[in-house]
Amino acid sequence: MRQQKFWLGVRYVVLVILALIFMLPFWVIVRNAFSTNANIVSATWQWFPDQLNLTNLRSLLENDSVGILRALGNSAIMAVLQTGGTILVSLLAGYALARYTHRASKLMLGLTLFTLMVPVATIFVPMFIITAQLGWVDTFRGLVVPTIFSAFATYLFRQYFLDFPEELEDASLVDGCNPWTSFWRIVVPNSKGIIAAVGTIVLIGAWNAFLWPSLVGRDATRTVQVALSQFMTSQGVRYPELFMGSLIVVAPMLVVFLFLQRYLVQGLTTSGLR
Amino acid sequence: MLGLGGGLAAAATLTACGQNNPLDGGSSATPGAGESSSMGSEAPMGDKPSLTQWYHQYGEEGVKEATERYAAEYEAATVTVKWNPGDYNSILAAQLLTDDVPDVFEAEQGGSLDQIRSGQLEDLTELIGDAKDDFNPAVMKRFTFEDKIHGIPQTIDMQLLYYRPSLLEAAGVEPPTTMEELIAATNAVKTDSMGGFFAGNDGGIGVLGTMFIWSAGYEQLNEDRTEAAFLNEDFYNGLVAFRDFSKSGGVVQAASAEWFSPDAFINEEVAFQWGGLWSLPAIKEAFGDDVGVLPFPAIGGNGRPSVPFGAFGACVAAEGKNVDASKEFVKWLWIDQEDKQVDFSDAYGTHIPAKPALVAQATQLADGPGADAAQFVSDSGFANDIMWSGAIGEKYGAALSNVIKNDADPAAEFEPLKALIASELEKLKG
Amino acid sequence: MSNATSSTIAPASPSTGRPGLWRRLRGHQGRNLWFAAFVAPFLLGLMAFVYLPIVWSAYLSFFEARNTVNPTRFVGLDNYTYLLNDGLFIQSLLTFVAFALFIVPTTYVASLGLALLLNNLRWGQAFFRSVFFIPTAVSYVIAAIVWRFAFFSGARFGLLNQAITAAGGDQVNWLGGTNDLYWVALVSVRLWLQTGFYMILLIAGLQRIPQETYEAAALDGAAGWRLLRFITLPQLKATSVAVILLLLINAFQAFDEFYNMLGSIGSYPPYARPPLVHLYLIAVGGGQQDLGVGGAGTMILTAIIVLFGVGQNFILNRSNT
Repeated sequence: MRQQKFWLGVRYVVLVILALIFMLPFWVIVRNAFSTNANIVSATWQWFPDQLNLTNLRSLLENDSVGILRALGNSAIMAVLQTGGTILVSLLAGYALARYTHRASKLMLGLTLFTLMVPVATIFVPMFIITAQLGWVDTFRGLVVPTIFSAFATYLFRQYFLDFPEELEDASLVDGCNPWTSFWRIVVPNSKGIIAAVGTIVLIGAWNAFLWPSLVGRDATRTVQVALSQFMTSQGVRYPELFMGSLIVVAPMLVVFLFLQRYLVQGLTTSGLR
Repeated sequence: MLGLGGGLAAAATLTACGQNNPLDGGSSATPGAGESSSMGSEAPMGDKPSLTQWYHQYGEEGVKEATERYAAEYEAATVTVKWNPGDYNSILAAQLLTDDVPDVFEAEQGGSLDQIRSGQLEDLTELIGDAKDDFNPAVMKRFTFEDKIHGIPQTIDMQLLYYRPSLLEAAGVEPPTTMEELIAATNAVKTDSMGGFFAGNDGGIGVLGTMFIWSAGYEQLNEDRTEAAFLNEDFYNGLVAFRDFSKSGGVVQAASAEWFSPDAFINEEVAFQWGGLWSLPAIKEAFGDDVGVLPFPAIGGNGRPSVPFGAFGACVAAEGKNVDASKEFVKWLWIDQEDKQVDFSDAYGTHIPAKPALVAQATQLADGPGADAAQFVSDSGFANDIMWSGAIGEKYGAALSNVIKNDADPAAEFEPLKALIASELEKLKG
Repeated sequence: MSNATSSTIAPASPSTGRPGLWRRLRGHQGRNLWFAAFVAPFLLGLMAFVYLPIVWSAYLSFFEARNTVNPTRFVGLDNYTYLLNDGLFIQSLLTFVAFALFIVPTTYVASLGLALLLNNLRWGQAFFRSVFFIPTAVSYVIAAIVWRFAFFSGARFGLLNQAITAAGGDQVNWLGGTNDLYWVALVSVRLWLQTGFYMILLIAGLQRIPQETYEAAALDGAAGWRLLRFITLPQLKATSVAVILLLLINAFQAFDEFYNMLGSIGSYPPYARPPLVHLYLIAVGGGQQDLGVGGAGTMILTAIIVLFGVGQNFILNRSNT
């Protein structure tokens, strides 16, 4: 009917407008990354960049105080290590919390949920002290290890495994596996979706992390978000370089996201929040 | 709990040492080569000790290389310079809590009360000996606590008010010496495209903070340091005057850069900018001779012009592994090596050498705004009292912000500070 | 699991007929051991890097501990009373409440709105879903850079100020604190970053509503607004509650965008200070390192959030009976 078509049309118009608004920040980053400073701070808003070459990129790369290339490398290493570590630890724990329901398990679940709520930023100082006393400041150990114990990831895995059919594992146990081998040979290969989902969340979270890397990272381990944040308030800040830096920092995550969002959506949808 | 930490630390140090041998990794002046040398837990006998030296990230070009040069020239030890971008105070504070402290490090104003009290700083009074009279007395006053000195001044920084004489001449006003004159001058020279007075994107509250105390003619604390000495009518009236100045549009609330950058002034976004002496070279380059500087104007009947000054002091970690070697190095660089001290102050941005006798050697301070600036520090220089703790500063800043930005009544807003400061001071004396 | 090959039967202890202590500890077919093996890494890590620091913070909170982790002066509850009397701390709690009051309903409504717009959309659902979801990949730091310098800059060149001056108004100092408009910036940045995520959760919830429910409602003549209010929302209750809970917990832990939008190196204005920023400034970054008060603050904030969790659980359980 015409009325339905009308409302459908309205729906699309609204969606398009919202989509444009949502994309605006990305456009601003791109515009500024390829502009001169004058273009950015000009008296009238310029919609388009005015320096469509790599000048800003070059001056950013040459800017030693930012050290963007090194920072990109550090972030990549940290993100990969953190993702691997978290998945490993949380996969095991989440599975156990789902499969075993005795008292110890309930206690652990409670501990896990409690951790979800504790304001992490405040315990960073004593956490940092411990990390430092282990000699881990400015090392990837210190950057990564304290962060791989994620209650959130464990919880997501647990929710997923609650729905995972036990028959598969039971069958393997009959065939002579113990719970450990059964887990690795049967459960994990059939859980690729949730692993990809949680992995994506952790990866993006690690790449975007700010507080912990700013406390523990130094020259050798400065990550990309910390470098940008320091650049932003430093004496030598220049907007074109700042936004070019933002562009090259956000780009990898956008790529990761576009490739993996399917799993993310699936994981969030099926594991639900019960 | 700390026993556990100690045990773990011991075990970890052994493993860490295996991977980060402080003795390989080459030249002392290699910048930022990981943290290899900071694990220097065992200086082998008969070899040169290995020292780490921490600096914050200076904005000026060439400073890092200079400090590395100085360190390389020191023969009695291998000194590695560590350059720390970001929030230096936090980074330093956090590191000083661990077992792995930097041997030599710069600390604001020669060390905070908390640092001194908690025993993090080595007592350098004997090291400096009579040479302390060579240093700027106002700076040494700030650096001395209970007759002890814990840091050796490196160079003096200050802030001041930049303006362009040509603009004032064109508008027919004299350089302002009082707050009223400043307000009048600002209104006279500002235009639609060029704002009046700028002191930061927070409306000036952060950087001007305690200027309102000194320019009103008062000190922060009384002689005995038992209570605040500025909570009076003159101070409140000064705040109201500045608030009116802000609200009337004379104070530029936001610009394309911060107060510590010369950009807003150079881009002619503002006519008067409160900035750092370090910005002087860039400003001179932009405007040549058309640059003037002033202290913060006097406020009220009891007022006086004032400028804040600060100096980083070279400190030695009391819990460092090589205290004696560190002390020797610090003495060598910051007491003996006067040519390096002049170089540090003069060759990278503009700073004032910590020893008045060396000021004559600083080319940038020979004449013009540079010379004026040096004079301001001598005549009207102020620094935060050592017992003006971080907590007091926070409360003061919050009250100030409420008065200037939210129209709060100064007396009402600052009244609670009286008791707060008194009790905080008591705690600190404890 | 019940058909596993039996393991050796340990001898019963001589006095009673019950299995020995080790056997009991091991559990049926060693399941306790397996459980331990699976959770050990996670548990050890939690202990070392979450609970140990919390306990340490609690310990420090009873001492005067400035610039030291080996404090010597026991001061009992002084740090707690100091903090509870600290105007800035109380203000930070109120800031959190204000922030939560803004962000939670706004995000929920926005996410729900987007979810409803996208639900059962024939063309382009995946495309629009991506568009709204992709900001999740952006860090708070980068979003803060864009918001602080490009959108909400108090100077002339900020996008919003450009729009305002073009319409004839005066430029606005968004982040300066002379007004309360920084809330617009802070809420909008979080909205942009989070809405997509919660939209996904709500879409999942919407898709769980069986088609029959809608058909029955249509037969009864329910449509549009009434459909939403009386059919859809009640069916979404579980998901909505979870979403709101997550929103609240995340709002409480807000730090990155506040710190990067309003702060400078080593300093932060006294307004718009969420609890975590305030504690961070006390314990780490504001020219002081008061670990005693910082520890007390941790305990207080943790207590608040635990109480909240317990309370919320209680309410939910009661409403479900």
